[in-house]
Parts: sequence; C-alpha cells; structure tokens
Amino acid sequence: MNVQFKKGVLDLCVLALTAWEDRYGYELAVAISSKFEVAVGSVYPLLNRLTLEGYFSTYLRESPEGPPRKYYKLTPKGHTHLMELVSEWNTFTHAVNELIKDGVGK
Amino acid sequence: MIKEQYLQQLWKHLDKIPEPKRREIMFDYEDHFRIAAELGRSEEEAARELGDPQMIAREMLLGYRVEEAENSGGVVRLSKAVLATAGLGFFNLVFVLGPYIALLSVLLSLWVVSGACGILAIGAMYEGFFGDAVTRMQASFIAISAIGVGMLLGAGTHKLTRGVFKMTLKYLRFNTRVIMNKERN
Repeated sequence: MNVQFKKGVLDLCVLALTAWEDRYGYELAVAISSKFEVAVGSVYPLLNRLTLEGYFSTYLRESPEGPPRKYYKLTPKGHTHLMELVSEWNTFTHAVNELIKDGVGK
Repeated sequence: MIKEQYLQQLWKHLDKIPEPKRREIMFDYEDHFRIAAELGRSEEEAARELGDPQMIAREMLLGYRVEEAENSGGVVRLSKAVLATAGLGFFNLVFVLGPYIALLSVLLSLWVVSGACGILAIGAMYEGFFGDAVTRMQASFIAISAIGVGMLLGAGTHKLTRGVFKMTLKYLRFNTRVIMNKERN
C-alpha cells in the first residue's frame, strides 16, 4: 500500500474502531495491521500516544479466557477529535473522488 | 523462549523511561504474547508481527518525552523531546534538530541583550558618579533608558520563549505522526 496514504489516517482508524465499543489493545493492533500492512507492534505506541493526548482512557476488564485485559475507551475529547477527523476525511476524499471522476471517468 | 528474548530486548531499549511507566508499556506487549497464545498462535509469529523492539522503544520514548516537556515546560525537557525525535531518523536530524538549535540561539541572544541593557545601566551610573565622560544627569537618563529597553525586551522574549515552546511541541507531535508511518516501510 502507498505509504503516503497511510500517513495521518491511522489515528482516525484507531479512534473509529472504538467509537461504539471499548476494545482491548490486541484487538485494535491486529485489526489495524491487517488492513494497513503496518507492524502490529507499532499500533501500541499509537494507542499510548492517543491515551497521553487524552483521547483514550484505559481500564482492566476480566476476560473469559484468562487474566484481565487492558481496554481502551474513547473519552469525550476523543469523540470530538474523531468527529473532526471524520469530517476532514470526508471533505478530502470527496474532493479527490471528484477529480478522479473528471479525469479518468471520461 | 522467543517471547522472553523479545520482552527482554524491549525492556532494555526502554531504559530511559522511568520504572512505573516502563512497566505499563511492557504490559501491552506481554499481553500481546499472552492473547496470541490464547488464540493458538506461536511465539515466533507474535514476535514477528510485533516488529523491531528497538524501533518500538524509540517511538515510546518520544511519546514520553513530549508528554514530559508539556507537563513541565523546562528547556532541558523540551530539548530531550527534540533529541528523542531526532533519534527517529536522519530526516528528523535535519528538519527538527537544526531549526530547534537555530531558534534556541535566537532566544538566547535576545535574553543576553536584555541582560546587557541592565549592565549598561549600571556602567552608565558608575561613569556618571565616578568618571568624567558624562554628567550625573546624562548618566541617569542613559541608565533609565537602558533599564526600560532591557525590561521591554525581557518581557517580549519571555512571551516569545513560551510561544516557541508551544510551537515546538506541536511540531514534534505532527512530525511523529508523519515519521512513525514512514519508518515502517
């Protein structure tokens, strides 16, 4: 995948995955890396950074398979940030699609 | 075995981060191996998909430094954050460290000038009282002007310094986003 495309979109995707339900780190890391061809390990620093920036809060929750897992929960601040990113993304992709349609779709 | 090695390496590379925070970071990676095992995947697989522990440690250190600099606002902390960013690659060495050093020099020279105005005031008063180059009256005027200029410059530089700190942190964050995704590939 084009590296240039990945830049900046990762934050948006991680935040979007947690919009409706809290998820644990492994789940997020695997979901992101399977779609974006980034190392799973690099998703954890991302989660860490978003937590430091106040977009996530974390807590431990018991799991049926074994010891408790660390869950990431979107904070109100994170939700606002996500909405901003989504609207930016939509404006951006809409513009790009228009241009492609004009250029290629003839 | 693979898991132990991986975690040990990561732990070693994170040595600049204080203990409690370091443990917290390790938790994510220990968890990763554990959950991978619960899902029936091998340690080799889990380690391979995680990626290079050194790279991960660098990113973590950077996040930590930026947070540290934000909470304290000291020049030493901010410089550490800049250095952590520069450690992420050559690109950053040029585009982060260079401008930062230049900015810091400008700020420093402004501080020095405003300090020099104070020294000038003292010098002028001394000359007025004990020397014969200027009268006391003239010396007082020079001193008052110098102190005034020095104070104005000092206040301005103080504001500017704060502004530069804020901007630097913002830039570090932006830069991390770009670099983190670039380094991977």
